[in-house]
Amino acid sequence: MKNMVLLTGSSHPKLAKKISETLGVELSECKLGKFSNHETSVEIKSSVREKHVYIIQSGCGRVNDNLIELFILIQACRMGSAKRITVVTPLFPYSRQSEKSQKKRLPQHQIGSEIMNSLTHNKETSPTMPQGVFAQSFMGMSPAENGYREWCARAGTLVSNLLQAAGTDHLIAMDLHDPQYQGFFRIPVDLIYAEPCITQWIRSEIPNWRQAVVVSPDAGGAKRATSICNKLNLDFALIHKEDLGNTKESMGLVGEVNGRPAIILDDMIDSGSTIGLASEILKRHGASEIYAIAIHGVFSGPALEIINKSPVDVVACTNTVPQEDFLKQCPKLRTIDIAPMLAEIIRRTFYGESVTQLFVHDEHI
Amino acid sequence: MSSNSIRILAGNSHPALAKLIAKRLGTDLANVTVSKYSNQETAVTIGESVRDEDVYIIQSGCGEINDHLMELLILINACKTASARRITAVLPCFPYARQDKKDKSRAPISAKLVANMLTVAGADHVITMDLHASQIQGFFDRPVDNLYGEPSVLRYIRENIPDWKNAIIVSPDAGGAKRATSIADHLDLDFALIHKERKKANEVSRMVLVGDVKEKVAILVDDMADTCGTLGLAAKTLMENGASAVYAIVIHGVLSGKALDVINNSMLTRVVVTNTIPHAEKKKLCPKLDTIDVSAVLAEAIRRTHNGESVSYLFGHATI
Repeated sequence: MKNMVLLTGSSHPKLAKKISETLGVELSECKLGKFSNHETSVEIKSSVREKHVYIIQSGCGRVNDNLIELFILIQACRMGSAKRITVVTPLFPYSRQSEKSQKKRLPQHQIGSEIMNSLTHNKETSPTMPQGVFAQSFMGMSPAENGYREWCARAGTLVSNLLQAAGTDHLIAMDLHDPQYQGFFRIPVDLIYAEPCITQWIRSEIPNWRQAVVVSPDAGGAKRATSICNKLNLDFALIHKEDLGNTKESMGLVGEVNGRPAIILDDMIDSGSTIGLASEILKRHGASEIYAIAIHGVFSGPALEIINKSPVDVVACTNTVPQEDFLKQCPKLRTIDIAPMLAEIIRRTFYGESVTQLFVHDEHI
Repeated sequence: MSSNSIRILAGNSHPALAKLIAKRLGTDLANVTVSKYSNQETAVTIGESVRDEDVYIIQSGCGEINDHLMELLILINACKTASARRITAVLPCFPYARQDKKDKSRAPISAKLVANMLTVAGADHVITMDLHASQIQGFFDRPVDNLYGEPSVLRYIRENIPDWKNAIIVSPDAGGAKRATSIADHLDLDFALIHKERKKANEVSRMVLVGDVKEKVAILVDDMADTCGTLGLAAKTLMENGASAVYAIVIHGVLSGKALDVINNSMLTRVVVTNTIPHAEKKKLCPKLDTIDVSAVLAEAIRRTHNGESVSYLFGHATI
């Protein structure tokens, strides 16, 4: 491993440390910080000339700061004559493209106050004030006035182009929200899946897992859930959101959960509203225990509060996003460690070995 | 065939300047909302059509620079996918302009990175003011207009500094000598330079004045004032060498960290900055601060670019 250099940004240093320990390669010393005028400063202390550099940065916390830091790290390695630069993003930033019709993910200035209030069960809290100076002026204008339907910008292609422009040769990403995202890149992209870690967790941590039902909280995640069902030989159920228009939705369960433990499976927990609503429905339909497993535990806003108040028994997320603070606030939370998986991927790509082996023979993990 | 019009979009870095520019051009700011999702990702919503229009996006490299940079990139990309005819990024203060060379091993050239990012996002043209090094224009494959604040600075000196005919222009370091001599020539004044003598590394360096400032009003000229350590020491040196008063005029007033305390406690009579970077709040804390309004220069550059007229007129003449 003499020609490998491991670098980490400031988004998730603990994960990078775990990966380096598993690999037996020390993290290269790199000074990260900010100048007094808030510009990012990056100083790589050891040589990267003719080395294969792996940069580990997750799209969490202060996303824009971490993203620019990642670009500058890549550029610095390029200027330092690195042979090849691979970027490892446990959580890829700006990976969710906002679909106006879905109404699932709205900027803070558009979230309907009734939905947020009902989820936090607190009539006194008002929705968070929109950030950004122009939000207030915009709030007074409705689409009908000028006849133009406003649209939200989608930053997906932009981020992929920026990564390539900065000088990335290879990207390793975990569980992208849209797998088609790989096509935005000209460089090779390795999509890796947390599925083997999740199936292992289910088998070891859920006592009566053989009777469980895997539930997808929306239609989009059905494929993900059925894949796990097939591996574990379990039954499947789906929660279907029926859009009645004007932000009114009715959610119905398709499948049977009565008297059996239910495992809700999603790729991300951000606002917590999906898990909150899904667990209520499953409780109503008689599920004996309710587990929620998500790959990326972002937990923004009142998410932890919603989960603490909901009927969910245990929530498990991987550590693609730092989980220490969340663990302190939510006793229901558990962590699935994916550092060994990432370390194995890095080792295999460095030596030119097959990566798909990991996902076919998951009993070995 | 209808001709297209100017659309001004503004990010969150300097809305006051954007409003001034729009007012000067006789138009309104476009209906754009820039905010954040709950997970800190930037959210941009465009509320009007920009199809086939000449779009100018005004965003300065100040405050939370990384957030504002991402806002700018996403705005440019959004207009590109909305079929705007031409997209010009107007950056009164260019971000990461000081990281423009590889001065030690593995140092990033962040200015080049920003140039790449702007081009990749879809900017066709860049307008900026007083780049730290004008060679940064070469980092771009697209046309760049590097405007000068010099005419506005000359006008300020003539109108606001009493006894300016008896003044002397001083550069606070060797790198800014060219800038200072240019101003001195235009005003027909003398020139002096402050040279930092470093005896040992990490030792407080001595400042040596080259030139004569006795009984004259000294005007320090620089492109950027960040922590103001250099300016404070320079003022002290000038007063010790007999100057009657010390003014400082800088184009980009970053004024970060303890800059305002340094200015208040220093021997500077007045510190003048342009409004490329917002400082309304800082003015309340520091009575020595004064402003040169450059919104007219930027607005004129936008108008001339849109109409296809020459912009070089602005390099020598202050706008009315």
